[in-house]
Formats: sequence, C-alpha cells, structure tokens
Amino acid sequence: MEVRIFEGEGNRAKILLENANPSYANALRRAILSEVPTLAIEDVIIYENSSSLYDEILAHRLGLVPIRTDLKRFNFRDSCVCGGAGCPSCTLTLTLEEEGPKVVYSHDLKSPDPELTPVEGIPIVKLGKGQRLRLEAEAVLGKGKEHAKWQPAVVGYKYYPVIEVNDKCTACGECVAACPRDILAIEENKVVVKDIEACTLCRACAQACEEEAINVKGDPTRFIFTIESNGSLPAVEIFREACREISKKAEKMVSLL
Amino acid sequence: MLVPVRCFSCGAVIGDKYEEFKRRVEENEDPKEVLDSLGVTRYCCRRMLLSHRDFIDDVIKLEEKGP
Repeated sequence: MEVRIFEGEGNRAKILLENANPSYANALRRAILSEVPTLAIEDVIIYENSSSLYDEILAHRLGLVPIRTDLKRFNFRDSCVCGGAGCPSCTLTLTLEEEGPKVVYSHDLKSPDPELTPVEGIPIVKLGKGQRLRLEAEAVLGKGKEHAKWQPAVVGYKYYPVIEVNDKCTACGECVAACPRDILAIEENKVVVKDIEACTLCRACAQACEEEAINVKGDPTRFIFTIESNGSLPAVEIFREACREISKKAEKMVSLL
Repeated sequence: MLVPVRCFSCGAVIGDKYEEFKRRVEENEDPKEVLDSLGVTRYCCRRMLLSHRDFIDDVIKLEEKGP
C-alpha cells in the first residue's frame, strides 16, 4: 500500500492511497474517527454563572471546543504516573473569568500552556450588563469512540474515478453540459477529462449520453481521502497517528494469537 | 439561542464562522458565495449557518440587572 499526500497544509489534507482495498481504506477512516486521541474539556467547575445559559448547556458548549493537542507530551488520565488523580501531564486546566456586557469566545479560556490552546473565535455565551461568569475547565485526552467531542476530524474517502470514453462518442457535448463539477471538455472532437480527481462519480455524464459512449467507474484499489481537521491536530498528523493506532492494534492481535 | 459550536450531523466546527457569515449576508452578499468562501462545503454544515437565528439578546433583556 502506497500513500501520497496531495495537499497537507494545516487543517485540510487530501491523501491518495494506492494498491489498497476497500477494507483497508475503511479501517483507516474508522481509525481516524475513533482512535486518534485529542484534548477536550471533560470536567467544568462553575464558581459563578449569572449568564442566560444553564450550567450544563455552558459545559456542553465548552466540551465541543477543540483544543490544540501535543500527543508527545500528554498522557491518558487513567494510564498517567499520577494514577488518575490529575496532574499537568494528563490534565490541562483552563480558566475563564468574564463580566458582561460582552461575547465570551473560546479564546477567552486561559491556558497555562501557550501550545495547548483552544481554537479561537467560537462564541461560548453572550453576557449582558452585570452578568458574570467564573469557571475552571479540565481538558483531558480521549478518543472519538468514547465521545464525538474527541473526534479530531471529519474524514471521507472515495474510489479514484476512472472515466472511459469509447469510439461510439460523437462529441455532441451532452456530457460536458451535464457534469456538475465541470470537469469534461471537448478538444479536437474528443471528450477529454480536465480534472479527474474532482469527479464525484455521480454518473450524470453517463446518463446524459445517448450513445452510451461514456462510462464512469471507481477504481477499488485507489482511494482519495479528504481529512478536515477541527484544529486540534494538523490533518496529516491525524492520518499518521491513525496508522500508528492500526499497527498497534495489529501487533496486539498477533501477540494474542 | 446561540449558534451551535459544531455541525449536528458531521461534527465540523461551524461556531467560529457564524459572525462573519451574518455580517457579510447583512452587507447584501449572496449567502452561497459567503458559505463557499468560508469553506463550508457540505450541506449539513451549510444549513447550520443558513437556518440559524440568534435570540440570546431577547433573553438577556429579561435577566439583565440594573436600570
């Protein structure tokens, strides 16, 4: 199985998997969703809340805020040297103290570590005049299979598209007009594909063709992955970590057999 | 009340995009163009922003202290 990274900057990545099969691709997708650890707020201690939101709604909103994670420095709470009591290597304590009138954003949560910070710009609550908010939030490592707040990314894959045009083609242009992604064109009396990777395999071109000259197939050995990170980890790092998690699981399986 | 932090269906963060979306739509920009430029591509996330209505200001009025 070969992996090629098309785009891998920041929070978005497009990755090509070659010599693979659908079960490999799906295993990777599922590992990204449920096995890659990230930080998320798990416990919230509310000292004062005179805002218009109930404590539990506030805590729920805080839980969904992604937090930039450094996997090398952080342990799971239950396997930490502190024995689960909560120490700086397994728990990140964020503090928030605000008084209205103002909108409280995710970046108002103060982190003791400049590298482990909440993703900016998410409104938590709006405070009116005299409304106050004072709380402490504990973020811990977790996995997407336990709660969706720990899912690091939205990920999807598709078969690599293959568009075949046979010699029945009359270059009428019906398929070019039908394509919603506008990836077909007619050049020198022939249908040519401009950007094959943009194809969504919708088969609109095949349906529009009266001569049955064009056909779209997905190649089940090649997959295009799209990873859209929520900001907790860079997209490529999420992919690498998912691969590591799969090999860890495979090794465990071998040792059990 | 307030814009949800994440998309209900796919879990992508959309809360940080609402204020810009609202401002630009009020400046008579086409909502379709705004969503595209914010990188909100899936229809699940698009409906989160399109169908949202903030009403926390109305609630704050009832609870605000002072004159």
